[in-house]
Amino acid sequence: MTAGSWLCLLAPLGGTILILLCGTRIPRVAAAWIAATSVFVAFGGAIWAFLGVRSTTGHVGELTTAWTWLQSGNFHAGLQLLVDPLSTVMMLIVSGVGGLIVLYSIGYMDGDDEERRYFAYIAFFVFSMLLLVEGGNLLMLLAGWGLVGLSSYLLIGFWHDRPSAVRAAKKAFVMNAFGDATMALAFFILIAHTSSLSFATDFNVHLSSTATNLIALGLLGGAAAKSAQIPLQTWLPDAMEGPTPVSALIHAATMVTAGVYLIARTHPIFEQARTVELIAAGTGALTLLVAGLVALVQTDIKRVIAYSTMSQIGYMFLGAGVGAYSAGMFHLVTHAFFKALLFMTAGLAIHALAGEQDIRKMRGLGRVMPFTKWCFLAGALALVGVPPFSGFFSKDSIVASAAALGTWYGWIFWVCGIAGALLTGLYTFRLWFLVFGAGSAAGKAGDARPGTGSPTAIPGGEPSPFVREHYHRHGRFEGPLTMLVPVGVLAVLATVGGWLQWAPKWHPFTNWLAPAAQTLAAAEPTSTQEYYTSAATVIAGLAGIGLAWAIYSERKLAIPAAPFWRRLLEHKFYFDELYDALFYRPGVSIANGLRREFEEPVVLQTSADIGEVTMETGSLVRRIQTGLLRTYVLFLAGGAAAVVLAFLIAK
Amino acid sequence: MAGPDVAWYVATAAVLFGIGALGVLIRRNTLVVLLSLELMLNAGNLALIALSRHWHNGAGQIFALAVMAVAASEVCVGLGLVVALNRRNLSLDVDTLSELKG
Amino acid sequence: MSGVVVASAGNALVWVVWVVAAFSCVGSAVAVISFSNPFFSALALIGNLGSLAVMYLLLSAEFVAAAQVLVYAGAVVVMFLFVIAYVGPRRETPWSGGPSWQTFGAVLAAGALLVEIVVAVGMQASGSLKHDGHVGATFGTPSWIGRVFLVDHLLAFEITSVVLLIAAVGGVILGSHTKRATV
Repeated sequence: MTAGSWLCLLAPLGGTILILLCGTRIPRVAAAWIAATSVFVAFGGAIWAFLGVRSTTGHVGELTTAWTWLQSGNFHAGLQLLVDPLSTVMMLIVSGVGGLIVLYSIGYMDGDDEERRYFAYIAFFVFSMLLLVEGGNLLMLLAGWGLVGLSSYLLIGFWHDRPSAVRAAKKAFVMNAFGDATMALAFFILIAHTSSLSFATDFNVHLSSTATNLIALGLLGGAAAKSAQIPLQTWLPDAMEGPTPVSALIHAATMVTAGVYLIARTHPIFEQARTVELIAAGTGALTLLVAGLVALVQTDIKRVIAYSTMSQIGYMFLGAGVGAYSAGMFHLVTHAFFKALLFMTAGLAIHALAGEQDIRKMRGLGRVMPFTKWCFLAGALALVGVPPFSGFFSKDSIVASAAALGTWYGWIFWVCGIAGALLTGLYTFRLWFLVFGAGSAAGKAGDARPGTGSPTAIPGGEPSPFVREHYHRHGRFEGPLTMLVPVGVLAVLATVGGWLQWAPKWHPFTNWLAPAAQTLAAAEPTSTQEYYTSAATVIAGLAGIGLAWAIYSERKLAIPAAPFWRRLLEHKFYFDELYDALFYRPGVSIANGLRREFEEPVVLQTSADIGEVTMETGSLVRRIQTGLLRTYVLFLAGGAAAVVLAFLIAK
Repeated sequence: MAGPDVAWYVATAAVLFGIGALGVLIRRNTLVVLLSLELMLNAGNLALIALSRHWHNGAGQIFALAVMAVAASEVCVGLGLVVALNRRNLSLDVDTLSELKG
Repeated sequence: MSGVVVASAGNALVWVVWVVAAFSCVGSAVAVISFSNPFFSALALIGNLGSLAVMYLLLSAEFVAAAQVLVYAGAVVVMFLFVIAYVGPRRETPWSGGPSWQTFGAVLAAGALLVEIVVAVGMQASGSLKHDGHVGATFGTPSWIGRVFLVDHLLAFEITSVVLLIAAVGGVILGSHTKRATV
């Protein structure tokens, strides 16, 4: 199994290096297929590792060390990979869903001038993410953590001639860097106390509660930054500037879930700092509500899905925070399926409309793109959690485990979870009805700003003038085959993927993860709790769908005016403005002040002064060079006289 | 040794050397500078021969012969320079030939 | 310095010859640096070389004296005279031109060198210059010079010949017409 894990880790890296070395010598599509093949090879390695772990007794897993990487006094850190149930789950998801997405990008990025760079970056990202999940000690995890941040920056800013993309990439990187810093501080505390970053030592040590709390807070900071939870969530919507497959892979399926993985992996530390763990759960609950609310007013199709991602990761944080690690991880798995599916179908729509992303213009697309419509529907139903789609099985476990806590905050989390389900249904089907729906919507300004809607009435489901004008087909199908096949595969997975576990009766997933991340007894829900929670979430979800149908499809209900709330939501609760005032403006003014007061007068002036002094000295010395032969001979003679004098004196 | 001691000869050489040095330093005509250089070289030769005689060491005379040969070579090259300067109608005044002025 | 001891008529003759030679040597040197016409300076140099040759003879260096007359007076000075005649008449006053400190510095430097050498010689004279060596009859003869040059100082001999060759080549190149335009 360790061979499988090495293969899994190194295949995408090999793909990247191969693409980089070949450069422009190979055709663009060859680079694309190299990347896709390397990720599929990684998937093969992941399966191999998975089977290996499965065949060991107790499914404990194995630590494999390549060599000692860092050594300083008592502190050792090796190049280690850990193959255990938790890491194999992540490996399968990253390489499997990643492989499908890379295959999809072959069609999506076809024709782009810099396609090779894109595929090199994507393969590098897959490698980094695998390093993160396979890391056998905290140092390797941190290395992978930093590298995925780098890959994310590179890929968000892939179209570097767009200023908005560059800004978004910087924003993502800076916020992630904040999280990296808190994680590094946590690691420093660990090293100070234990001189080790290995899992075995760090998870079995018992430090003072202050130290443990600080460590857990640092880890939580890193997780929140990477997973775009409040208060470090503002980078995720902007990250949609990157190509759609990037959004699917990095900002839905894998990188943003790394925070959840971190909590699951370091759960012994969190369990010792229970308060911090519950803060994580609270963060998740808050984020899932806030993100759900903001998603209601977004007009860019990718941003709706981005806020949806934020909200769903809030669910995962909630699950992991209360102690139901396997529930959180299971939701991670199903979320990877349906969120990647949603992004990729959105990408099909965007691709067909030559880059348009505004949903107000996409009205009636369902009529001309049926395959996309039905795949999107599968993903949407999975997202809302309607049985028998996958989301139902995973989401409800999380909410039920909140109820299982029995405490006052447990019930608050439970209510948040149910409300979140309502919001999810509402914003998801708002999206579906607006873009793909076939309802008898009159063409009045619905949720668009007054005055911008089309004045003529559009009969139900007819494509809008924009769609009629801009939609173009690729041959017989709605898109190239490399795009349609992964979408289809994911649609199937989104539908049946949840059948892996139905918590009350049948839980192979939880059993699988138990050796690595045992669910806390306090968070273990009873069957009754599971049943009524499921009922509540499904009813809430269906209610949300119903509301969306009434408002956006049939126009039976109007959206309430509520201008204050509308403004609040459109400005995303003013987080960006707050950070701008708190961090950016003071930073800029300090920098300008330093430049004015210190750098220009002192530093630059000093170097200029040194230069001037040198030149003045030079022009003084220059006067010796008269150009006359006689002068030089005079100096010769004078020098000779001086030398002889010196000898005479020495004698 | 009959006649003056070797010290007289060396003193003469010193005076000759000083006169030659003065000539190099104050004359402006290139040719006269070269002539003054010859004076200095001859002064050195005289000192060598005198001391060779005093210590009965043949190396001094050999050295003097070598100096003579080198002086001849140097004059050859120097005069070649003068001829080249003259051919380009440049002045022979060392004060004028000051293009390497700082 | 030991006093002037006149022991015999032979000694007196040597002294007389030395005085004449030394004074003409110094006088002609002053003439070399003083004439404004370089042609006369070159002629004065011939006088200088001749008196030096006389002094070499007094110092038992017959071969060197002969070489001095043949090489220096015969070849070098002839070259000088030829080039002086070739470049034409140039007159120049000896003490003119240059920066004001130049002349003063020149006299000072030359004077300092002179004084130092005299002092050095004086110091030596109080020491080891007392010993008076008797030289054999063959000292300074051509055969003796030849043997010493070619046996004891062969390397110097070869290097000297190389230097002469280089100088000859250099002289030819410098004096030739330039064939190509200099960029």
